[in-house]
Amino acid sequence: MERTRRSSPISPPSEYDKGGSEDFSALRRLLLSPEQVQLDRLRQRLDTFVVGPQEVSRVLPDAIRLRARQDNRLLASMLPITQEALALSIKQSPQLISDSLAPILGSAIRKAISRAMREMLQSLNQTLEYSMSWQGLQWRWEAWKTGRPFVEVVLLHTLQFRVEQVFLIHKKTGLLLNHVMAEGISSQGEAAISGMLTAIQDFVRDSFQQSQDEGLESLRIGDLTVWIEQGSAAILATVIRGAPPVKLRDVLQNTLESIHAQYSESLQHFQGDDSVFLETRPFLEDCLQAQFVKKRKGLPVAFWVLSVLLLALLGWWAYQASLNHQQWTELLKRIAAEPGIVVTSIQEEGGRRVFHGLRDPLAVDPERLLEEVGYPPHAAGFHFEPFIALTPEMVYTRALKVLQPPESVSVSLDGDRLMLMGKSSHAWMTRVDQAHFSIPGITEVSMERLIDTDVKQFETLREDLEGQTILFLAGQGRLTDRELVKIQQVKHILQELDKKAMQLGREPSIYLMGYSSPVGSQSTNVSLSEMRAQKVLEILSESPFQVLKLSAIGKGVDPDVESVAAEGQGYSASRRVSFKVVEPKITQTREVGARTGR
Amino acid sequence: MIQKKICMLGGFAVGKTSLVKRLVSGIFSDKYLTTVGVKIDKKSLSVQGKELLLVLWDLYGDDDFQKVRASYLQGSSGYILVIDGTRKETVDVACKLHDLAQKTIGPVPFVLLLNKHDLVDEWVVECPMVSDLSDQACFVSMVSAKTGEGVEAAFSALSEAMLKF
Ligand SMILES: Nc1nc2c(ncn2[C@@H]2O[C@H](COP(=O)(O)OP(=O)(O)OP(=O)(O)O)[C@@H](O)[C@H]2O)c(=O)[nH]1
Ligand SMILES: [Mg+2]
Repeated sequence: MERTRRSSPISPPSEYDKGGSEDFSALRRLLLSPEQVQLDRLRQRLDTFVVGPQEVSRVLPDAIRLRARQDNRLLASMLPITQEALALSIKQSPQLISDSLAPILGSAIRKAISRAMREMLQSLNQTLEYSMSWQGLQWRWEAWKTGRPFVEVVLLHTLQFRVEQVFLIHKKTGLLLNHVMAEGISSQGEAAISGMLTAIQDFVRDSFQQSQDEGLESLRIGDLTVWIEQGSAAILATVIRGAPPVKLRDVLQNTLESIHAQYSESLQHFQGDDSVFLETRPFLEDCLQAQFVKKRKGLPVAFWVLSVLLLALLGWWAYQASLNHQQWTELLKRIAAEPGIVVTSIQEEGGRRVFHGLRDPLAVDPERLLEEVGYPPHAAGFHFEPFIALTPEMVYTRALKVLQPPESVSVSLDGDRLMLMGKSSHAWMTRVDQAHFSIPGITEVSMERLIDTDVKQFETLREDLEGQTILFLAGQGRLTDRELVKIQQVKHILQELDKKAMQLGREPSIYLMGYSSPVGSQSTNVSLSEMRAQKVLEILSESPFQVLKLSAIGKGVDPDVESVAAEGQGYSASRRVSFKVVEPKITQTREVGARTGR
Repeated sequence: MIQKKICMLGGFAVGKTSLVKRLVSGIFSDKYLTTVGVKIDKKSLSVQGKELLLVLWDLYGDDDFQKVRASYLQGSSGYILVIDGTRKETVDVACKLHDLAQKTIGPVPFVLLLNKHDLVDEWVVECPMVSDLSDQACFVSMVSAKTGEGVEAAFSALSEAMLKF
């Protein structure tokens, strides 16, 4: 009884409890007691059933997997929450998200950038390499000839292979899922091409009775190759220019496999909507590979041309610089050696080198020196004070300048003595006599070896005159015609003599001396000789002389009569008039050659 | 964009190529150049406000229909069955091709076209003769590749049917 009462208050009283006897209850209790307790516990648990986190955690992963297999509802219900959570997370801790995305995004961005860089570099390289080389010129010519763009010609020659187009084709329908092209390729009718490729596949497969997974692997159309990769649901067709390497196949296969793995569902249920496959673009772009012919090592011609030019320029510059330097040193040397120029300093003034110092006015013009050494005139200047130089060269130059000697005179300098040699006019000698005092640096002029040409001519004329005789007939003061002509000659000589004497500043007297033969008396002979001299004087005085003084003297019988007669000429030679030039002593002393002066 | 593959089916010289040409480039030629194998063209249409690209497989017509390669039919969302209204025998060919198509690609929509309607004088094909086919077709029309009569409408009708299908 007690036991019944003590029975669990939770267990509701059963029909048996109500209607049954106490004994039966007791029996039941005895028999089923342990089970009853268990049952009670179970009931309690069921009544207060709450799924604990522990239980859920145990089954959650499997539950999700199972549900996802069934349908999309779990995904659908989780989507908004996940999105919201992500948005919130980005808002609250952007660093966390960016850190976790960095490895993926970073590499993707890097890839994109490096790709762009590569493309740019490649085109740049090619243009550089080929634009100036011999090869490049040939290709330009070809481009011009064929009317194709230069880039295309370059590509044609340098390309080993290039994937120009990639088609992703739905196998069953032959419809184009996606399509990418290399840069610079233009294509029309991808949709039709895609269909044709499939049709060809079908045709080949049917014709040769091959299985679905086999088919045409490559086609050749001109210099284009089409490589076709078969997948279970899609086909990857690539149009390649040139000779592709075998390893490109691996790339294509891998790409197709990746696409299959990621899009198997979409491929399976393709209904013509290709927008799903837009995201396959990166995969396809990975197939757009290209390889260019390696240019043989060595620098492009352009480089050589440029370097040679540069070197030439450098050489020219160096040459110019050294030339300038050479000219400058030459100029310095010349100016230093130049008599009459004393350089005290050289200064840079506004890009010019200006010489300062002294210059004798008779010294060489420094501008001429510039010209002679080839130094640029605009790069040099001169600022010289005038002075008188006493170097032998300058003294000599000055002497020449002052005295202006005729060519027949040679001038030399011995210390402060000027030596003159040769012949010169009397007038010049007179000038030297007066001017040499005014030449600085000269104290003495030696003219001993200088011949006065005027004096010489005077002497010659005098000798000429004194050798003349005018003959008369016996006992008469009359002249024959022949003698009259002779008198005219004498007159001419006298005129010359008159001129010379004037130049020399002399005033000589001309004596006309009359003679007679010994025949006849002494007194008649004297008057006869006198008459004869007078007769000649008369004729000669017809024209006046400037300085000559003519006088007639009767000398009587010729003193040389005996010796003249002995020569067998009789006395005819004694009946004559002779001439004599007489000069006053003082005048003669003026002709002495050497002069000294202070 | 949505793409659909369509096959042109019918006996030889019924005008399949001519119809495609009329639709795609709007021109017609009297010259008969038989199609070898298959020629593929495309035409974009706007149907129910949607851009649709039709990829047209113009198959060669062979009265010995067995030779039409079933594989070409694969993946078609619909087809156009062409009968030459001036030649009775082309009806028979059309029936056989229709059977082949249904067997190969299933009950996809198709359009039945009686071509060369401009040649009324030579017309021989009567409606009862094609009643079997016209019952199943989603659209039946007399057309002419030469004048262009009914051509665009036929393709539009098929497009609509395919989108609904
Ligand atoms: N009068 C007229 N002639 C047509 C018409 N359609 C086609 N033709 C002519 O029929 C001939 C055959 O036309 P195709 O379009 O080449 O026929 P097909 O069905 O493509 O023939 P296959 O390719 O050999 O199977 C050509 O000479 C066409 O000019 C039409 O509507 N009216
Ligand atoms: Mg045809």
